[in-house]
Amino acid sequence: MTAAPFPDRFRLFLRKYSMPYLFIAVPVLSMVVFMFIPMIVSFWWSLNDYSGIQAPKFIGLGNYIQLFTNDPIFIKTLANTSLFVLIGMGIGPTLGLLTALLLNQKVNFLSVFRTAYYLPVMTSLVVVSTIWVMLYNRNGLLNSVLTWLGLEKVGWLSDPRVALVSVAIASIWQGFGFETVIFLAAMQSIPRELYEAAMIDGAGSFQRFWYITLPSLRQVILFIYIYGIIGSYQVFDQIFVMTAGGPVYSTSTIVHYLFTKFMDLRLGYASAIAYILFAILVVFSFLQWRFLTEKS
Amino acid sequence: MRIRHTSLKNTFKHSLLYLVLIVSSLLMIVPFYWSVGTSLKLERFVFASPPQWWPDPVSIQSYVNILTRIPFLRYFTNSVFVSVVVTLGHVFFDTLAAYAFAKLKFPGRDKIFFIFLLVLMVPSQVNLIPVYRIMATLHWTDTYLALIIPNLTSIFGIFLMRQFLMSIPNELLDAARIDGCSEFGVFRRVALPLALPGIATLIIFTFMGVWNDFLWPRIVLNSEKLFTLPVGLAQLQMKNTSNEAQIMAGTVLTALPMILVFLFMQRQFIEGMTAGALKE
Repeated sequence: MTAAPFPDRFRLFLRKYSMPYLFIAVPVLSMVVFMFIPMIVSFWWSLNDYSGIQAPKFIGLGNYIQLFTNDPIFIKTLANTSLFVLIGMGIGPTLGLLTALLLNQKVNFLSVFRTAYYLPVMTSLVVVSTIWVMLYNRNGLLNSVLTWLGLEKVGWLSDPRVALVSVAIASIWQGFGFETVIFLAAMQSIPRELYEAAMIDGAGSFQRFWYITLPSLRQVILFIYIYGIIGSYQVFDQIFVMTAGGPVYSTSTIVHYLFTKFMDLRLGYASAIAYILFAILVVFSFLQWRFLTEKS
Repeated sequence: MRIRHTSLKNTFKHSLLYLVLIVSSLLMIVPFYWSVGTSLKLERFVFASPPQWWPDPVSIQSYVNILTRIPFLRYFTNSVFVSVVVTLGHVFFDTLAAYAFAKLKFPGRDKIFFIFLLVLMVPSQVNLIPVYRIMATLHWTDTYLALIIPNLTSIFGIFLMRQFLMSIPNELLDAARIDGCSEFGVFRRVALPLALPGIATLIIFTFMGVWNDFLWPRIVLNSEKLFTLPVGLAQLQMKNTSNEAQIMAGTVLTALPMILVFLFMQRQFIEGMTAGALKE
């Protein structure tokens, strides 16, 4: 018998490892209680008819079937959210890249311009949305400018054909400065020698951009799109403040719809919506996860 | 002749560059200016036609109104309190756990970290309703506990700090251990001071996130006296659609603290934001 008896071995184990386990105790507990268990519970509820008051009643895939075959508003919600993501991701990162390219030209007052682009990023979405509600008002600044130009007023947030685009414009305005700052920092870390060598070889400014800048930014661009898509699919604050999903559901998005179902105490239904969101994002989340694990 | 030609072309390119920069910056600033301007207008001039580019007369009545009729100062202190407590929690718990994951050896370490990263993939809306139910069961809804306890740590924060702590040489930690420091002592006296740049990033990320958070506080808070600034502002906007000047006074008071902090700590903000994205 060379090994110590069990209690002693346990005590030894404790003495050796109690500190590390203690150090991670709160995060582990927090993850289990507030993420891991809720995740499973939420999936279970999505398979139930559950109001939060009465006991859950198992209905299998009933909620999912209902959502996809018998809830036109939810289908509209999916389309709206995807269109919102498409507009945002189509314009935002490009705008960020362009402004970063401008700021990368040895500009005077760089920090002033950068601050201007970045200011809305710092500001809460509720504030930004409140400001844009005022700008979009029937008699607000934007319509005043249109009238001054001799154009018709636009029902920015009241016309169902326009409202989602208006929310997307405000969101792009709020967010692209983040991309500017990230792209600019990445551009500044590209070695100067690369550009000097290219210039000796007679490369013009567009060629330098296409063959040096863009390839060097590949990882960053990927990062921007992955995080951007994940974030945009979860759009809520702007919708809540600017339109509450209206007019006639033209701006209802996945998370906003989930929120309204939660408020109606249809918890099973809302959980199913959450899991559909998860399913939509899973590919992008996986890419994000690859990003993080590659780094570590 | 040739030289003059290029320099002329350069001047033109330069002017164009600055023109684009200035116009686009103005597009970013005007909405803020308009919000401040509107907050200082009398109600009947808010949507005047043609618009008043400069409030005339300048009136601070809207500010007086929202500070006296609505507990706006209370929202502000609530926001400060919750943001500070949550941020402190993150700095302590995230960094401590990150230290264990980065620098200590224990059975299951890599597996636990792997599970952490897996859970990070799940969007927070999936957990929203069950966590709300937990809060309701504990009678924590409509208290600060609901804002603080589920948010005391974040996997992203642990990940970020682990990246920073891994770059600290092990010899430094070993030296402290030989000098008789306890493991917590090594963390506090050696690792923590060296990780300060990372902690600055963590503070900025966390504080901004909590300060601007809306969905969760909107769901768990009912009493007006507990509202944070975004919840209070959204409430003001919905309740009071007629008086735009007051709403704008509310946006100015909500946005101003964050903007001031940003202007004073711009370098740290930019570095912090880019560290999350670019740090290898």
